[in-house]
Amino acid sequence: MMAMHRLRRNAIKLEGERSSALDLAHGRLVLISAFFGLVYLVFAIRAFDLAVIQAFEMPYESEAVDVVEVADRAETQEVSVVAKGRADIYDRNGELLATTLKTSSLYADTHLIFDPENTARQLVKIFPKLSYGKVLHKLQSGRRFEWIERNIHPDKIEQVMLIGEPGLDFKESYRRFYPQGESTVHMVGYGDIDANGLAGIERSFNNHLNEGRELHLTMDVRLQHILRREIKRSVDKFEAKAGAGVIMDVTNGEILAGVSLPDFDPHYPGGAEKDEIFNMLTLGVYELGSVFKIFSTAAFFENKNVPMSVTFDASEPIKVGRHTIRDYHAENRILTAPEVFMHSSNIGSALMGQAVGTEKLRAFYKDLGLLDTIDFEVREVAKPLVPQPWREINTLTASYGHGVSTTPLHLAGAVASIVNGGYAVKPKLVLDETGEKSSTDVRVVSAETAQRIRQLLRLVVTEGTGSKADVKGYRVGGKTGTAEKIVNGKYDNKKKISSFVGVFPMDAPQYVIYIMVDEPVGQKDTWGYATGGWVAAPAVARTVSSMASVLGIPPAAEGSAPDQFGESLRQFVSTREVSQ
Amino acid sequence: MSSSISLQHEQSIFERLANLNWLLFLLITGIACVGFAALYSAAGGSLSPWASRQMARFGVAAFGMIIIAIIDIKWWYRLTWPLFFLGLFLLLVVEIMGHVGMGAQRWIDLGFIKLQPSELMKIVVVMALARYFHTATLEDMRRITFLVIPVMVIMAPVGLVLLQPDLGTSLMIIMAGAAMFFMAGASIWLYIGGAIAVAGMIPIAWHFMRDYQKQRVLTFLDPERDPLGAGYHITQSKIALGSGGLEGKGFLEGTQSRLNFLPEKQTDFIFTLWAEEFGLIGGVLLLSLFGLVFLYGLWISVRGRQNYMRYLALGLSVNFSLYVFINIAMVMGLIPVVGAPLPLISYGGTSMLAVMIGFGLMMSCSIHQYTKVSR
Repeated sequence: MMAMHRLRRNAIKLEGERSSALDLAHGRLVLISAFFGLVYLVFAIRAFDLAVIQAFEMPYESEAVDVVEVADRAETQEVSVVAKGRADIYDRNGELLATTLKTSSLYADTHLIFDPENTARQLVKIFPKLSYGKVLHKLQSGRRFEWIERNIHPDKIEQVMLIGEPGLDFKESYRRFYPQGESTVHMVGYGDIDANGLAGIERSFNNHLNEGRELHLTMDVRLQHILRREIKRSVDKFEAKAGAGVIMDVTNGEILAGVSLPDFDPHYPGGAEKDEIFNMLTLGVYELGSVFKIFSTAAFFENKNVPMSVTFDASEPIKVGRHTIRDYHAENRILTAPEVFMHSSNIGSALMGQAVGTEKLRAFYKDLGLLDTIDFEVREVAKPLVPQPWREINTLTASYGHGVSTTPLHLAGAVASIVNGGYAVKPKLVLDETGEKSSTDVRVVSAETAQRIRQLLRLVVTEGTGSKADVKGYRVGGKTGTAEKIVNGKYDNKKKISSFVGVFPMDAPQYVIYIMVDEPVGQKDTWGYATGGWVAAPAVARTVSSMASVLGIPPAAEGSAPDQFGESLRQFVSTREVSQ
Repeated sequence: MSSSISLQHEQSIFERLANLNWLLFLLITGIACVGFAALYSAAGGSLSPWASRQMARFGVAAFGMIIIAIIDIKWWYRLTWPLFFLGLFLLLVVEIMGHVGMGAQRWIDLGFIKLQPSELMKIVVVMALARYFHTATLEDMRRITFLVIPVMVIMAPVGLVLLQPDLGTSLMIIMAGAAMFFMAGASIWLYIGGAIAVAGMIPIAWHFMRDYQKQRVLTFLDPERDPLGAGYHITQSKIALGSGGLEGKGFLEGTQSRLNFLPEKQTDFIFTLWAEEFGLIGGVLLLSLFGLVFLYGLWISVRGRQNYMRYLALGLSVNFSLYVFINIAMVMGLIPVVGAPLPLISYGGTSMLAVMIGFGLMMSCSIHQYTKVSR
């Protein structure tokens, strides 16, 4: 202040006439300084408040945290460090899917290292991958905690102990390992650093596993790998965004394989992208398209006592209000029920749905579980999108798989419930502890309807859109589905969900295999087609032939058992040309 | 420090260097050294990747500062308006380029440093206002029409910076400008009216704020509402500040910051790291260094013989202090997290360069305090 007064006097002498302006300026300078000084004062008070007063009230007293433990947490973020007793998960044949292993990691408290040079030399001898310079640098860092080597072999622990340095110590931890890696991640799941399951079975059976109780899944790792390989092949070939699929035992709903691609390494969930973490099989809802014709056709035969020869006029598109229903493989004529199915006629299926009626069709879909969230052991499940309100137009579109969005898992379960003879099954991933096969006695369709659907499914493969799903000797049946995706509220005919649901062996169905591919792009050798018949049906065929050999199912010799299914319906099919 | 050279004498380069404010230079270097130590600690006791590069930057910036300081202040006076329009032009360029296919690019790459025109604009606006108020009389300052141009000098860059959108920088320009208006003698009622207007604007501003900005404000008001999400920074920062206690945990011994609990530890939250390791004492010491730099700037302003130097030195030291205030207040949980660096300490070239240019001009004001700039 002294200096300022002196200066002010000088200033006044220099420029007398402006003294009032200068007085004002200097007065204001003092004000500004005072204001800024006040701010510094506030900071000082706040710093004191945080450092001294609030420090006593902190919920987490940082000093109390064990430094080693903190370092451990910070450095192992990417790998699960789990409770010692967390139990293993196995597949149905006892293959390990998830386990807990003890690992030891070597660290140094450099304050207790007496001879850094010698210690570093010895350590490099034991761990040839380490460099002497780096180890020595660490040992001389002066820090209380310095990792030397992580996850070391038990033999080496002893060798390290023989060095006799008190500053070398081990930190033990238990980690979750997934021997099958990314291929089972969407079913088995993964965990966080605190041993909490974050997804899949690891999440839904979190407490169960932490209590030390093992789990056996219905999954068959061999089939899991086959299914994943074949879906991946289609996704890659057709430059698709993603793919998903499931193999289910139709008799009891047990899931033998469940795949969602892209997937990720469960040991490093932190590095996974959003679309890799997303489980399309259980969490994605899609309009799956013509595969739904299985359900509308089943509803039709269940409710109308009519022969297979019943006909539908598909000569012209149907107009309902502002909607027009067209056929993709248009025949423009009157079709019998088998023809509707094998040519995948939207018009025919819509007419079937109309004949069934809104209430009954909706009730039937509900019985099949298509309208409700699946009660499933993996908790990442999505609720289907169902039209609200459900008008007549919705009945028509739902008959060919539009306007109702479900997960791929819903579809597999519903197909299984029909082709197994008509008994409702729900998807299951955990094997019953009793080891008994669960059976169900809730009927959704009669044995007769079930038989008709089986025949129709086989016909699609022998004569219709699904011919590429055929595997010699295994009598595969199935249905194609090619749905346009909704982009910004409009159907986009460039972006498709192409899928195929296959069932085999058709005369006594055992397995349903559903494969869907998201946004495939037509290729040269498929003449630009990217429909379910071109994209997913061949993947199902490859899966069937691989799994049959793994499971030891012998092919039926050519001609030994008459192929009654396709054969029996030929009388109702007028054109012999296979439309693709 | 004060020189005894006669009024009209043209100083040689050596005289200018001799008249350089070496004490200020020492203070700045001292603060920068605190920064090096903190960055060394943030890297777990290693010069790479941050401390060594920061040192190199400081070296380059200090050299630039001295060059700016020994250039005669009358040249800076004459160059003020061209620099102002060049700054505006650069802001416009990044604004346009940011929209045309280059991503949201807000900087110009000079090779060793990425230059943000908005940072330079903070200084150029101060220069332009100092130049405009240089010839102003008290009567001028009471005429609203006279104030139209300086208000535009502030609002034109503020508008462009807001488009980026960078609310923090815009507010800094406005606040530094307001301080200069005040110093030049603008009616105190303008400020009272302004405060009332701002209070009235808050609900409207809230409506226009982006979601993440709203989140920050809400989190500021109650950090515990989302301790693992938006409130994470602040909660961790406060824990770290608290865990340092009075004397700190010691150099390289801070656990909260160095074990990655504290995000952005080498940039915006570096004060926390420092305070955790050196405690309340270290924190207050660092704040005192900043305070001394501010006082030094005020002293240069008081000694200035002409309005241009007075206003320029004041504006620059206010500008520097605003950096400090915003950052410190943020890490202490006094204002919402806005993403502002701590000048001279935080890792990063842009704020370092801008601040050092400011010091260079400030020193030029001091070295050439007897120079007459034309009216």
